[in-house]
Amino acid sequence: MIVVKDVYKRYKSEHGPGKWVLQGLSFTIPSQTSVGLIGSNGAGKSTLLRLIGGIDQPSRGSVKRKCRVSWPLGFGGGLQGSLSGRQNTKFICRIHGHEDEIKERMKFIQDFAEIGEAFEEPVKTYSSGMRARLTFAISLAFKFDVYLSDELTSVGDAVFRKKAQQAFKDLAQTSGLIMVSHDANVLKEFCKVGIWLNNGQAHWFDKIDDALNSYHQSYTK
Amino acid sequence: MRTSFQVSLSVWKALFLREAVFRLSTGRAAWFWLLLEPLSHVLMLMVLFGFVYHKVVNGIDGVIFIMTGLLGYFTFIRTATQCMNSVSANIALFTFRQVKPVDTVLVRAMLEGFIMLISIIVLLLGLSLFNYNVIPEYMLGVILSFLGLWLLGMGCGLVFSVGKELVPEIGNIINLLLRPLYFISGIMFPAMIVPQPYRSILMLNPLANGLEILRGSFSSSYHIPPETSLAYLFGSAIVLIYFGLALHLRFSRQLSSL
Repeated sequence: MIVVKDVYKRYKSEHGPGKWVLQGLSFTIPSQTSVGLIGSNGAGKSTLLRLIGGIDQPSRGSVKRKCRVSWPLGFGGGLQGSLSGRQNTKFICRIHGHEDEIKERMKFIQDFAEIGEAFEEPVKTYSSGMRARLTFAISLAFKFDVYLSDELTSVGDAVFRKKAQQAFKDLAQTSGLIMVSHDANVLKEFCKVGIWLNNGQAHWFDKIDDALNSYHQSYTK
Repeated sequence: MRTSFQVSLSVWKALFLREAVFRLSTGRAAWFWLLLEPLSHVLMLMVLFGFVYHKVVNGIDGVIFIMTGLLGYFTFIRTATQCMNSVSANIALFTFRQVKPVDTVLVRAMLEGFIMLISIIVLLLGLSLFNYNVIPEYMLGVILSFLGLWLLGMGCGLVFSVGKELVPEIGNIINLLLRPLYFISGIMFPAMIVPQPYRSILMLNPLANGLEILRGSFSSSYHIPPETSLAYLFGSAIVLIYFGLALHLRFSRQLSSL
């Protein structure tokens, strides 16, 4: 269960504090619920995801996580370009668990990513598809109660995308999911509940279709 | 579930190995440059003092004099500057909730201390080939003064890292202030040649205290000023570390947000 209570967020800008991105969000996400975050660019979807993931702190209010929450999967933010895929993977395995689990996880990641010998090469030499394969494989190697995903499922070539979507579907059945996506089909496929972010406010919809409808109506008007 | 302490320990281990691998894997023969970098300055001045200027400084061989001063100084300054820059250098890692800004600072201090330790041993071994007596007369004093200087560097690094992240201009000012430290810490001259009352002012600098004790422990024939105090060095280091940790705790929210 994740409890978001009266969360405000604004960023520092060059000229003092910037404008409020999120203004007084309060909601509770029950466990085993798949939530889609919807909103236009700059509405604060990624910001909210980062706050839920505990990477960033709200300016006011609080986010309480009463379960194991993943880092926002997707962009390879935590990968260091000059280190090899293996070294990066090992680092993430090390901070996430006990020493004795590392070996199996490394093997799983290497097998799932299917990037062959590039696993030993520096990450900066990777193509964006290879990078996405690696980040996706890494995120699958750990068991979380809730997975956060930021535009994750649209990565890699057709073969990998199919595999990734299947893996993601299996995941969604056993764990909670909070995802940001601009692809309505992806959202409909994975999510039951929708949160529409608009003007710093969050609107909760019990059905993702309703959330998508309101979002579409807001910009077709 | 792991306890907080277990998580911290695994983060430290992971960060240490990551940083070490990173330093060792950039460029050809990176390990060589890694050792040479802190030593190049020392080596150059040692050659200067050994061949050109060779004489006894304040009761100690000139080469040993300059070497101990510079090694002590670099132990401090490298730790401090590396720590200072560690938060901004590792900002991508805060994607993982487990990694806190203070972890990156502490790990860099440990790594820098480790590199300096190896550099010092290599240099002493090399110097022993030239028939210098590199075994300190009072080993514990040497170890303690290096430890104190390292802790002082870590304390400064902790404080500076917060200051620099919150107000970037502070970083520029610190860099300006650190530069004269080379000249007012008694690296190129023994503290004894400074007349009173100025010597008391000089010895307010904890770095100068550390360097004098380091030399005095290396050879008992070196004259150290009576006001030199190891406790002062450690006291300053502990106060700075405490202050730095408190700052990191107070501003942890601001530090980890980009």
